[in-house]
Amino acid sequence: MIELIHLVKRFGDLVAVNAVDLVVPRGQFFALLGPNAAGKTTTVKILAGLMKPTSGAARIAGYDVQEQSLEARRRIAYVPDFPFLYDKLTPWEFIRFTGQLFQMPEERIAAGARELVARFNLEPYLAKPIEALSHGTRQRIVIVSALLHAPEVVVLDEPMVGLDPHHARVLKDILKERALAGMTVFVSTHQLSVAEEMADRIGIMHEGQLIAVGTRDELRRQSGTSGALEQTFLTLTRQEANLREEHPDSAGAPASHSQ
Amino acid sequence: MNRPLSTNRAPAPRAASPSPLTLLVLTNMRQAWRRLLTIRQQSRLLTALIVLFLGGYATLAFAIFYKGLRFAGSFPGLGAVLIERMLFLLFAFLFGLLLLSNLIISYTNLFRNRETSFLLPLPIPWASIFRWKFIESALLASWAFLFLIAPMLAAYGLTQGVPWHFYAATLGFLGLFIMLPAVAGSWLAVNLARFLDRRAFQIAALFVASSLLAATAIWLKTDPITDEQLETRVLVVLDRLLSRTHFALFPLLPSYWLSAGVQQWAEGALGAALFFALVLLSHVLFFGTLALTRMGNAFYAAVSMVQSRGSAMNRWPWFRAWQQRLDRHARSTGWLERALDRARPIPVDIRAVLLKDMRLFWRDTTQWGQTLVLFGLLGVYFLNLRHFSQQLTSPFWVFLVSYLNLGACALNLATLTTRFVYPQFSLEGKRLWIVGMAPLGLRRLLLAKFALTSTLSLALTAGLIILSCRMLMLAWDRTFYLTVAITVMTFTLNGLAVGLGALHPNFKEDNPSKIVSGFGGTFCLVLSFLYIVASVVLLALGSPWTRSGEPGGFGLLPSWAAFVVLSAAVGWLPLRLSLRRINQFEM
Repeated sequence: MIELIHLVKRFGDLVAVNAVDLVVPRGQFFALLGPNAAGKTTTVKILAGLMKPTSGAARIAGYDVQEQSLEARRRIAYVPDFPFLYDKLTPWEFIRFTGQLFQMPEERIAAGARELVARFNLEPYLAKPIEALSHGTRQRIVIVSALLHAPEVVVLDEPMVGLDPHHARVLKDILKERALAGMTVFVSTHQLSVAEEMADRIGIMHEGQLIAVGTRDELRRQSGTSGALEQTFLTLTRQEANLREEHPDSAGAPASHSQ
Repeated sequence: MNRPLSTNRAPAPRAASPSPLTLLVLTNMRQAWRRLLTIRQQSRLLTALIVLFLGGYATLAFAIFYKGLRFAGSFPGLGAVLIERMLFLLFAFLFGLLLLSNLIISYTNLFRNRETSFLLPLPIPWASIFRWKFIESALLASWAFLFLIAPMLAAYGLTQGVPWHFYAATLGFLGLFIMLPAVAGSWLAVNLARFLDRRAFQIAALFVASSLLAATAIWLKTDPITDEQLETRVLVVLDRLLSRTHFALFPLLPSYWLSAGVQQWAEGALGAALFFALVLLSHVLFFGTLALTRMGNAFYAAVSMVQSRGSAMNRWPWFRAWQQRLDRHARSTGWLERALDRARPIPVDIRAVLLKDMRLFWRDTTQWGQTLVLFGLLGVYFLNLRHFSQQLTSPFWVFLVSYLNLGACALNLATLTTRFVYPQFSLEGKRLWIVGMAPLGLRRLLLAKFALTSTLSLALTAGLIILSCRMLMLAWDRTFYLTVAITVMTFTLNGLAVGLGALHPNFKEDNPSKIVSGFGGTFCLVLSFLYIVASVVLLALGSPWTRSGEPGGFGLLPSWAAFVVLSAAVGWLPLRLSLRRINQFEM
């Protein structure tokens, strides 16, 4: 489960995340959408423990990311948009290294990796140096390493970038299966198709605020549209922008979003 | 390689995984080892060049130190004092340099490193991440120090006739000593990152560097000494000379404990040496324990602050008001742009490239910082030449010093052209989608870079050479002669760096220091060094003013012809080849 409790992040005068309240229950696939500079990456970074919130709290499986950092980090996996890999290691060495950092026994690493490696077709690359692999293959290695320890929560920032259609499908299938098994999935993306196809619930951020949260149908109702998610998204963000122009002081009063 | 995924071989079960720190050390050691093995795949010429350079440095440094120490030691009654003071001074300066090196490397390693961002969301205690980064930074910052002083310590040991265990003990002393600047450097890096943003850091760095230069210029100013004093009151003169270096004997300096320990061990006073070893050890244990156990949270707070891009200074209204004023003027043209706009004969696209390069130079603290330090120190030294009024009445010394200054100035420039000008084309390669596709063309881009770097560096080198000539009280014709020489050398060194940079581009790397460490960068540095040595020798041999100070003129034309041909071969040829190469360049 993910809980964001009145989360605020300021960069000087800029409020990047403005009083966001959100609960993503166990086993839910949640997609966070928003235009550029909406505060999505900042929210993800706070969830991953890469930066402190100015105020409020973020909790992973009941553990505060700042106060009970180690416990929270044991339960989360984070896939950044530009992941880091040790170039001189082989994919297998990297996967094993990640498993060891999570204190996994060797047999569990091997068993967990076996399935993921097979599904992402990484077997032919396991002994090659990572520096010699393509961007897409590297992305697959990162995803395998992230999912290896069977996290309770996985946070992904633009996970489909670099993946070919086949492996994008594999990733979607795995995330869906794991969500059904109880893993909470939190995806930040610009790809509306991913949200539309996969997400149980969608959140839309705009200028630091979570302006809408709900299922596709709920968002459609809220926006007054009936078409694709793209139309819903554009209408909601435009409405919010108009509201801010008309009432700069009262617009976008933060709302709490649970379930 | 271990492949437990294959179905026919199951992995051996293990009781427990190693600690995160052990894992990080082992993984990075494996990386480093594989990087070392890639030497087999790199050009043999590059490997040979590097080995030759390292071996050459070690041999030359040992020979110079050995002869220097023997010479200093030959003064009856004074030799031991002089050698002792040199030892203390050397380690005091090296302590300062190590501190600076640790600060810069720790900052980069802790806050500008992708491995750190990768490790932070993993279940590794922040203190463990800090410990690993601390170890890595200390090693990166200190290995060169050990390599630099090894020949000196070997020469010192030989001249003092020390037993074999001196070398082992010295290694122990050095191992303890390098920990202290490492701890201080990492602590400073964490606190600078936490409390200063980029602009505040630039201002602070500029202020500290200027203050240090000014303090050095004032403190190390020489006293005029007459010939009579030199002959009759040697001890008084020596005392005055040594009093300026007395700071190296401050007993609370870690370099003092190291120097004293090494010196006592060399003299066979093992008890006293052991005392200083224990002083070092106790400080290392105290500060090391503090750093390794108490810095985790501070490190994380600083990482968060750096990630947040905001500055802790934002809490002050005056700072916020200042930032807002800057924001309001974001679209206005700065003085630099207005100045460049006046240069109408330069086409507008070239002006845009020049403006961009100058802005990047100013906004990259490393570039202007190193330029300021290198040329600033040289400037301080040149300014102090005026105090050698007695010694510089000899035409021989004036002749020698003027050419040594020419060489020093060119060597400084070569360091900067290799470090900053050489990687420019490779770095531009990342932006080829905009610069390369523009009507400007790569050929004009390269020429613009050559013109800009040559002009800016000429302002520095020519200015310094004129200053050197003024301090040496050379006549205007000799000043003109040396200024023309440094002008040719400046254009040559820039041509070499720009040309080789385009001939050996590396578009895979974002990090300029990694681009420089490849074949082309190493070749550029070695060739620059050889060119400078050859040029200074040629110019000195063909000088129209002989070593006695009178105009001679013998060999002027042949030496200048050789100098010009050499400059064309080293500077113009690579530039021309690169211009030809980029015409067929495939993006």
